Amino acid sequence: MRISLLFLITLFGVSICGYAQNKQLLYDFTEIPQSININPGAEIDYQWFAGVPALSGVSFQAGSSGVSAYDLFANDGLDFNVKVRERLLNGMSTRDELSGTYQLELFNIGFRGKDQNIFYSMGIYHEGDAIGYWFQDYALLAIDGNADQLNRRFDLGDLKTRGEMMNVFHFGINKSIDRKLTLGVRAKVYSSIFDFNSTNNKGFFVTRPGSNNTFSSTLNADMRWRTSGINEIKRALDDGTLGNTIFKRGFFGGNLGVGIDLGFTYKFSNQTVLTGSLLDLGLIYHANDVENYTLVGDVTTEGVEVILPDALVNSNEDFWQNLVDDIEEIVPFENNFNSYITFRPTKLNASIRHNWGEPTLRAANCDCGPYATSSNRVEKFVNGVGAQLYMINRPRGPQTALTAFYMRRFGNFMAVKTTYTIDKFSYSNIGLGLNLQAGPVNLYLLADNLLAYRNIANTRYTSFQLGLNIISWGKN
Amino acid sequence: MRNHLQNFGIAILTLGMLMSCSEELDFKQFDDVEATPTYEASILYLEAPENIINLVNTADNVISQNFNFDAFSSNIFAKRVIEGTITYVVENTTSKELEINIEFLDDNGNVTDTELFVIPSAPTATIEREIAYGPSGQSIDIITTLSTIRVTARNLGDNTSQSNLSDPMITVKSSGKFRVRLK
Repeated sequence: MRISLLFLITLFGVSICGYAQNKQLLYDFTEIPQSININPGAEIDYQWFAGVPALSGVSFQAGSSGVSAYDLFANDGLDFNVKVRERLLNGMSTRDELSGTYQLELFNIGFRGKDQNIFYSMGIYHEGDAIGYWFQDYALLAIDGNADQLNRRFDLGDLKTRGEMMNVFHFGINKSIDRKLTLGVRAKVYSSIFDFNSTNNKGFFVTRPGSNNTFSSTLNADMRWRTSGINEIKRALDDGTLGNTIFKRGFFGGNLGVGIDLGFTYKFSNQTVLTGSLLDLGLIYHANDVENYTLVGDVTTEGVEVILPDALVNSNEDFWQNLVDDIEEIVPFENNFNSYITFRPTKLNASIRHNWGEPTLRAANCDCGPYATSSNRVEKFVNGVGAQLYMINRPRGPQTALTAFYMRRFGNFMAVKTTYTIDKFSYSNIGLGLNLQAGPVNLYLLADNLLAYRNIANTRYTSFQLGLNIISWGKN
Repeated sequence: MRNHLQNFGIAILTLGMLMSCSEELDFKQFDDVEATPTYEASILYLEAPENIINLVNTADNVISQNFNFDAFSSNIFAKRVIEGTITYVVENTTSKELEINIEFLDDNGNVTDTELFVIPSAPTATIEREIAYGPSGQSIDIITTLSTIRVTARNLGDNTSQSNLSDPMITVKSSGKFRVRLK
């Protein structure tokens, strides 16, 4: 009964494992089974594993490269409008972003095949991801307006945002080619719940001295806002059927896509290891519940113009309405239902690690008692130090993070990894990961940007991950 | 075993939360944010060449025209406007003195504001005038109820002379500069 309950929970349960987009603590932390999800070519030695629900909660990553909540909302007695002007309008650029990601592991298992060199893994996870860049010129128009700014072009391209929610179904194969090289590949099917994106806007709004009248106002717009699933979500909110709708769309009732992860581990020697992975090389085709909005055109106006004698031809002409109609015709705000494709934010990870110290004991060598079986455990050194590179494709180009890490193993029951990461969010990001192994039970807790915990409100980046797995190094 | 692990996990989380700090934030400050931008744009441009003025041969040499203008009375503007100015630039390059009267009318045809320009003949004939509306000027209601602009032109000279300047004409430029409350 307990086994079947465990099995059911494992299959359909709510093992909550949250990941940041950059999972520098989890990457190459091969004691943790989820590390195979960010490097399908990781060198793993389990016979099988299964994610287990144990610790409920929400795991997430959120970052703001411009300001923190504390910068704006600290109870410091300063005029809020002054803070908005100094820290947002004057303090941020269009490369600053507000972004967030979460992943919720619904089901995750892995097992070694008959060929002991091949390890299969599969699962389902739920993911939400959104990013919005600081829309500087829109904010300036909204706070200051266009007065006394002749010839200043307000860039409509400052609107750059995207977001999505989906379920991901994945199946991976990890093969140990020889003692030096391990390769991995993971196929993914994306079931998009909703998507919105407006990332390729162009155009400007400018006020210049007019040729006839005092000012000429020009709107040059090439803007697109694409959505899928949003209308159905809105209807579900009205009908009180949000849960059902998300479930249905997340299980192949929305829009579908495919993708692939690739990864490798290469040992130059027992002590020097190179790894790399390319994740979410994929796309989603949106054809279900699509609605897009466009604003395209180029118009210049100097207000209502009445030039005699031409204006005398029709004395009842409504010049104002004609002007409005002309502008709406030249720069129409329209909607359409055309299908579209989005590319997933592809991630690149790489690391080089040097190990030293006493190798940990193989499980088969331990004092395990009369029921001990053979094991696949690979030799691991007590210490590891190295560097990692992370890149992700974002609407304003790739974002990069560099990490230095140190890993320490305490026998087979505990491993600790600490990281120092530099990226656009922080230059003082120190993270700590703890992995505990109690028999077959594996518990891990990874927390990022620990210095920020002195005042969480003042952090521009935070993430944490936790999870519980059952791992076996014995036979199937 | 599971209970022990759960307790261990909760203990770690609790410890983490106890060790972390967060200074007090006051999100109500957002209520204080003010967005009162000032926008400017052209409103109405009128142009009448001297040969057309000469053709006006009414009893009192007057010509008048109403122009529908709903931009300021639309809700998106009328409910947000705080104050502003309308600037007129009247230029006369004709050989005759002219009188231009600009009236603002509301939906019911009531005249709510009047600006009179008497502009001498060229070459020294340019008048620029800025009219304020709102707390430091006339009632902003004049702007928010504006439905029609009536322009009346009177020829105070003759109907035959022609200026030596190229393309002699009377032009009326007008632009608005208004502060609105978005939040």
